[in-house]
Amino acid sequence: MGVFDKLVFALGLKKREASVLVIGLDNSGKSTMLNHFKSEDQKSTEIVPTVGFNVEKFKARNVGFTAFDMSGQGRYRSLWEHYYHDCQGVIFVVDSSDKLRLVVAKDELDMFLQHPEIRTRRLPILFFANKMDVREAVSSVKVSAALGLERITNKPWHITASNAITGDGLHEGVEWLTNQIKENLNK
Amino acid sequence: MADNERWLTAHHDPLAALYTFSSCMALADLHGDGEAKLIIADLGTGAYNMKLKVYKGTNLMSENTLIDLPTGVITFHMDTTEPRVPAVAVASGSYIYIYKNLRPYFKFTLPTLEVNPAEFDAWGQARDDLLDVSMLYEILDSLRQEVGECGLTTRSQRFLMCPDHTSQTAFLDQHKGFILKRQTVVTCVSTLKKSHSEDDAISCLVLGTESANIFILDPEAFTILNSMSLPSVPVFLSVTGLYDVEYRIIVACRNGQIYTLKRGTKIGRPTAELTSQPVGLIRRDKTVIVATMDHHLHSFNNKGKRLWCIKLPGAVLCLECLELRTLSLTLVALALADNRVLIYRDKHLVDTIHTEDRVSAMRFGRFGREDNTLVLVLKGGGLVVKILKRTARFDIQDADGPSQGQVVKLNIPKKTKLFVDQTMRERENCVLMHRVFQHDLYRLRLSTARSYVQALETSSNPISLSQTEPLKLSAQVLGLGPTFKLRVELQNTSPSCPSLHLAVIFHCDDRVYSVNKSYIQIPILVPGIIHVAETLLTCVSELGISDTVRVFVVKGKSSRPLLTAVINMPVAEVFMAA
Ligand SMILES: Nc1nc2c(ncn2[C@@H]2O[C@H](COP(=O)(O)OP(=O)(O)OP(=O)(O)O)[C@@H](O)[C@H]2O)c(=O)[nH]1
Ligand SMILES: [Mg+2]
Repeated sequence: MGVFDKLVFALGLKKREASVLVIGLDNSGKSTMLNHFKSEDQKSTEIVPTVGFNVEKFKARNVGFTAFDMSGQGRYRSLWEHYYHDCQGVIFVVDSSDKLRLVVAKDELDMFLQHPEIRTRRLPILFFANKMDVREAVSSVKVSAALGLERITNKPWHITASNAITGDGLHEGVEWLTNQIKENLNK
Repeated sequence: MADNERWLTAHHDPLAALYTFSSCMALADLHGDGEAKLIIADLGTGAYNMKLKVYKGTNLMSENTLIDLPTGVITFHMDTTEPRVPAVAVASGSYIYIYKNLRPYFKFTLPTLEVNPAEFDAWGQARDDLLDVSMLYEILDSLRQEVGECGLTTRSQRFLMCPDHTSQTAFLDQHKGFILKRQTVVTCVSTLKKSHSEDDAISCLVLGTESANIFILDPEAFTILNSMSLPSVPVFLSVTGLYDVEYRIIVACRNGQIYTLKRGTKIGRPTAELTSQPVGLIRRDKTVIVATMDHHLHSFNNKGKRLWCIKLPGAVLCLECLELRTLSLTLVALALADNRVLIYRDKHLVDTIHTEDRVSAMRFGRFGREDNTLVLVLKGGGLVVKILKRTARFDIQDADGPSQGQVVKLNIPKKTKLFVDQTMRERENCVLMHRVFQHDLYRLRLSTARSYVQALETSSNPISLSQTEPLKLSAQVLGLGPTFKLRVELQNTSPSCPSLHLAVIFHCDDRVYSVNKSYIQIPILVPGIIHVAETLLTCVSELGISDTVRVFVVKGKSSRPLLTAVINMPVAEVFMAA
């Protein structure tokens, strides 16, 4: 049973759709992470940089689950905002070994948080401090400080260190997101 | 304009301890992993500890020791092997060191120059003990006067630098056994694509040397494909085109000239003359942008025609081209001595970056995975990496459109017939009018010159320019009359010689004035000290007129005054009232 199946199960959704937006800079490991959630037969062996975006659908117990795997390349980042309206949760992936670009990730996050579609919503955001296995990687606490996450007061958020290749940390994060979305839907 | 409006500070290490220049920095994906590294040839202390440093992101990844001061670093593809990773070329002294995968791979040596025959003979004789040390010194010294320091070999230059006899002897003993060679050094490097223009196509190296040559090197065999000469030492190069098809090399030289070399030419064609020495040269599309030491930024087209020129607010330290592919825009960044980096779009200032120190080197390009990155190395050794925001735009702010005053229509009167006639006349007789004007101007100049000569001849000027008695005189009239006080200040302006036997004489019409002391002896005049001579002068004329009084400074028995001042006396007011 894949993680998204678990997610659906935990939500107790019947004939409902939940969509999650996966954003973050290029090369941060978004596609690798989503690939990890796919069932064995759907897993792709090679991950290439995403062009535009990919939609990963998971059908489980009458529920369609949609993850928008956005491309993180500069020229495609302007696409992100078109999907802000329809998502129930956001996963923001950061390459914690790319210290040089932490400021860029912060800049993108700030723009995301300032967006009219996002600013006022209580949208749960899950941060992955990915690539924690790489030698130069900084801790999730440092990533959190570099992104200035403590400023986010009107949205539930959570950060966890992860390794998208082995799957370490992914489940913990997604569990948190599941609970948040469930709470929101039950209201 | 706030600093962080467009630029994000990605990295700031004030303790990086780097000493380098723009030409010694490069950005390239050295490992084929999509992540560009920063390559810096560090000059160390300027004498030792030179290193080739490679930064991966914020970390120093590798260091290679360099044996001499680097003058340039460049990355280029020298073969077609996979993976397509570029080689690094470091120019240093007379050599080009090629590194592949950051390991030393090849060393290219510049061709030696011809040794001056007289110099060659001198060393030959010194080796065979036919010449002793002081004779050798004399021969080389006179040769240096003749051909200049640069015309000698480094060995002779070093020998001439030895301060005393013993060190000269030691130097001679140590070196006389070796063959005398005259080498030149690389001053600048660049690359030129060989036959394809793709980003990762094979490139030739283009070298500028102190011997005022440009060499194009074959990337595989490292032979000189083409050698060209210039009238002066090249300092900045800009190369475009393909070696096998057509290329153009624009060179800024130390003599403040820009030359163009093309395929098939052997000698640089003068293209433009700068107002001062160049501090950087950039080529964009069909224009060349050069910053000069006299605080100007010039733009020329390929033909050397000046397109524009702007005055900069300070001295330029370095220049870098910002090519923003995403915005299809090319900007020019200039680091100024007042801790600012100014960014120009053509001749319009569009952004300013403030730094805490002077910027000594700049490189813009892809660093890590970010395309628009500006790397700055500060004078104090700090390293700063700035990333351009995705949303940054560089629009030219038109100074808020035309101002209020410009919009208002002026009430211009109709042209009168007189005005039209006058204009017609001016148009028809322009040559004649110009001539008349020139004629009068020459006459004015002539009569000015005549009066000046006359003044000099009669010493009727208040400053004496004679070599023996440089003096300065200034006179003052005090009082309202009829009795005035004349105050004369005398100063010896020579640096060291005192003046002796001087006297001041007052001369006037005795029907108008009576002078109290018409002859005043001046004591020895020490340089720089102001001596004051005073006398009373009474107006005796009943007509209430005023006249001039002449003040002469004479020396000894000489009949000709050293200097003269003419004082126009005021009208005595008390008389007038009476
Ligand atoms: N060492 C390590 N490498 C990882 C990890 N996650 C992803 N990668 C590698 O990072 C590279 C980029 O991963 P992608 O999943 O394509 O990144 P992306 O965020 O989808 O990138 P774009 O589609 O371009 O936005 C791949 O080579 C992955 O193998 C990780 O946790 N550790
Ligand atoms: Mg992807």
